[in-house]
Amino acid sequence: MKKPRTMRFWSVVLTLLLVYALVKWGIPTVSREITELPFPLTVPGTLMFIYMLLTVVALFLLVTFSDEHLEEFLYPIRRFLRGEYGKVTRAAGLVLVPALVGWQVYDVTIPKVQQPSSLRIQHPSSNFPKKNEALKNPFSAATDDEVDGFIEQAQANQVSFIPQVQADLDSWAEYIEPDHMLEAITTAPMHTFLQELAAGNVSRDTARAALIEKHLFEGRALYSMNCRPCHGDSVAGDGPMADGFKLRPINFTDNGTIETIVEGYTFWRVSNGGPGLPTEATPWDSAMPVWKLNLTEEERWKIILAEYDLAQKTPRIPESH
Amino acid sequence: MINRFTALITVLLLGWGGMAFAAANPSGPRPAATDQTLAEGTEIYLQRCSFCHGLLGDGNGPAADYLDPRPRDFTLGTFKFRTTQSGELPRDEDLFRTVSRGLPGTAMQAFDSDLIKNGLTENERWAVIDYIKTFAFEFEDPELDPVKNGLVVALPAERPPFSESLVAKGKEVFEHAKCWECHGKQGRGDGQKSFDRTDDWGFPIRIRNVTHPWKIKGGAEAEDIYMRFSTGINGTPMPSFVDALTEEERWALANFIKSLQHQLTDHQVLKAKEIVAEIPEDPADADWFAAEPMDVRLTGQVIAAPRWQNPSIEMVTLRALYNTTDIAFLVQWDDPFKDVTHQSELEFDAQEISRIGAFNSYVAANDMVPRQLLTFTDAVTLQFPAKLPEGTKKPHFFRGESSNPVHLWQWQAHRAEAGDRAVQESNARGWKQSVKPQAEEQQQVIATASWDKGRWSVIMRRPLLTDDRNDIQFIKGQFIPLALNAWDGSNGEHGLVMSLSTWHSVILEAPVPLTVYLYTLLAVLITGALGVWLMRKEQAQAAQAV
Repeated sequence: MKKPRTMRFWSVVLTLLLVYALVKWGIPTVSREITELPFPLTVPGTLMFIYMLLTVVALFLLVTFSDEHLEEFLYPIRRFLRGEYGKVTRAAGLVLVPALVGWQVYDVTIPKVQQPSSLRIQHPSSNFPKKNEALKNPFSAATDDEVDGFIEQAQANQVSFIPQVQADLDSWAEYIEPDHMLEAITTAPMHTFLQELAAGNVSRDTARAALIEKHLFEGRALYSMNCRPCHGDSVAGDGPMADGFKLRPINFTDNGTIETIVEGYTFWRVSNGGPGLPTEATPWDSAMPVWKLNLTEEERWKIILAEYDLAQKTPRIPESH
Repeated sequence: MINRFTALITVLLLGWGGMAFAAANPSGPRPAATDQTLAEGTEIYLQRCSFCHGLLGDGNGPAADYLDPRPRDFTLGTFKFRTTQSGELPRDEDLFRTVSRGLPGTAMQAFDSDLIKNGLTENERWAVIDYIKTFAFEFEDPELDPVKNGLVVALPAERPPFSESLVAKGKEVFEHAKCWECHGKQGRGDGQKSFDRTDDWGFPIRIRNVTHPWKIKGGAEAEDIYMRFSTGINGTPMPSFVDALTEEERWALANFIKSLQHQLTDHQVLKAKEIVAEIPEDPADADWFAAEPMDVRLTGQVIAAPRWQNPSIEMVTLRALYNTTDIAFLVQWDDPFKDVTHQSELEFDAQEISRIGAFNSYVAANDMVPRQLLTFTDAVTLQFPAKLPEGTKKPHFFRGESSNPVHLWQWQAHRAEAGDRAVQESNARGWKQSVKPQAEEQQQVIATASWDKGRWSVIMRRPLLTDDRNDIQFIKGQFIPLALNAWDGSNGEHGLVMSLSTWHSVILEAPVPLTVYLYTLLAVLITGALGVWLMRKEQAQAAQAV
């Protein structure tokens, strides 16, 4: 009988270790590359169990393929048990293996302190009123009459602003002494509009664009006053109050947020806040205020206009019925 | 993409403390200011800055009244965070640093497009700085240029790394330079000198608690700290120590201050520790020290009018102990002033500002001047659900709701000071209704409190179980939701003007079930026996073969 090789035993051990390492560290590492997320996706414990079980079954089949294979596999174990690797090694092995098993059993059975987690649905629609689905922001598409009214106001330099921005505009006007109050809004569409206004040939399209600039100016001011503390200057959900909330304020620059919902939904969320959410959205953890208690409808719509603009996103178009 | 996201996450994880000089320095030379950059800067300023800093740069934008500290008034040319000598104008790079990484603990956020998704690029930041500089005529005067005049303060060339000996040396400097006169012996901003002064803009000064890195405006790294006392903070009583202390001493001091910074714990479950003895009434007792602390972050109550964006208490540290009969919580937070008087006639009525379309959260708009002693009391409230939730459903973290009430343990300093029962047990059903105190015979929470070197320690104790069905019952092994409200009286806080936390939880650790040990023992025995049996068998076989 030829001398049995110890190779087979060690290749089995090595295969087991290799598969374990691949599942435990390999998959998470690769997942980072694929998802480009800053954290790895770990393999759940049950899946790990299945992978390892499959490996063991495959190795068992391989080892028991023939008596010769089995004999080869068992050879180093037998030698170990006979004490051919030294009595001390044997004693150590016979103590270590049960200790290792005991530790595993203890680790699995000991109760662990972990915050009970609750799953949360981001955009619940179970109590979203269907009539809101088709709501349009009245400030994103002004009617011709509204645009004409705005031109008239602008011609008389009598454009009305929301009271919240009036004080700052007044002190600006007092110091700068501008030709026109709208000069405070230093954006390109407003500039074009004021030029046309001075030349006396205003087109409705220019005026419509300028009117949106005025609404955005007001909306941004209202956003800064009411929403910025949590959602941040950058609308990235990182305002100065954000750190205290377990459920972090939504990051509007994220692709999965205000872009995926219709304006009517945004309006409904802003109006009814956390308490307006159904149970599946864990309303008890949401700090979102019920803004219909404090802001007028116009204020809410202007904020939504500014919010989409700040995030450089457009709302989802309602499906036509 | 990856880099930007990683940067953002890193910042979020480390808190602003970890930012150091990252994002602080421009990658290339400053582009020259032209009419075009000025026009670009003007537009950026309108969109991103004007609503706080005002159209004229005077710090009076529509949102300014909400904020304390108020937005900077650029027209005075006085800037706090510089690398130039005390009283001088800032370098452009100083403005760039502030715009890029913001001022932690204030409403001024980072604008670096590498840190936030729709921030400003380097050139956009330079453009807006071009525009900001037009607000103060001082910038036009070449004789005031700190760079030309050689008034720039540099970091020391030799900067030994953070070490115990460096910190010890820094502590000596802290003592003899008398930093503690204002900042307090423990650095909690509780020194009694100059607390009642105002800054150049007429606002009450706030002495920095240097132990909270997330609130250090000029940056929390040793390099940042070094600059603060080497340049002074213009417009405030913070002087420059550039002449009084050597470079070496200042670097050691910066490292000592760094060593005072608190490291936040990161768990959401408070483990109540079981003890055999009576629950100690002294917060310095060894039993309390052995209980695992949990830091709870609080934030301003911005959910309902009157909203509050300037909370003073942003972190409370909790510990819990229990024995066979009672449970007790040790609640600790930093507060530089011990406010133990309460003038209820000064309480503010939110009715007027709560109506739809009204201003609804302000400081100045409500004549609520912060930093006023002897007005309102310090207070803290522990909040639990009135009954243990089934499943995950809880009352709303802000005082529950009508169908799902909460149980409050309201501790108030002025009641303790007057020798009254300091804790009032109450129930609340949402913030709209007023809190309802429980009947006198149901008041079972006993408190002891002390204020020492800028820190409150309040211990609240109650029997584990009561017969009141409006009370939370502490049952072993259950996750019991827990939230906090806190008030700093001299910051004008009272009623709903407060800081609050969302739900955390507390658990009374049940003893490890015996079965765990049994299973473990069985596993060891079986495996051990199997090993020995195999060994015997193998030896017998070997003997036969011979």
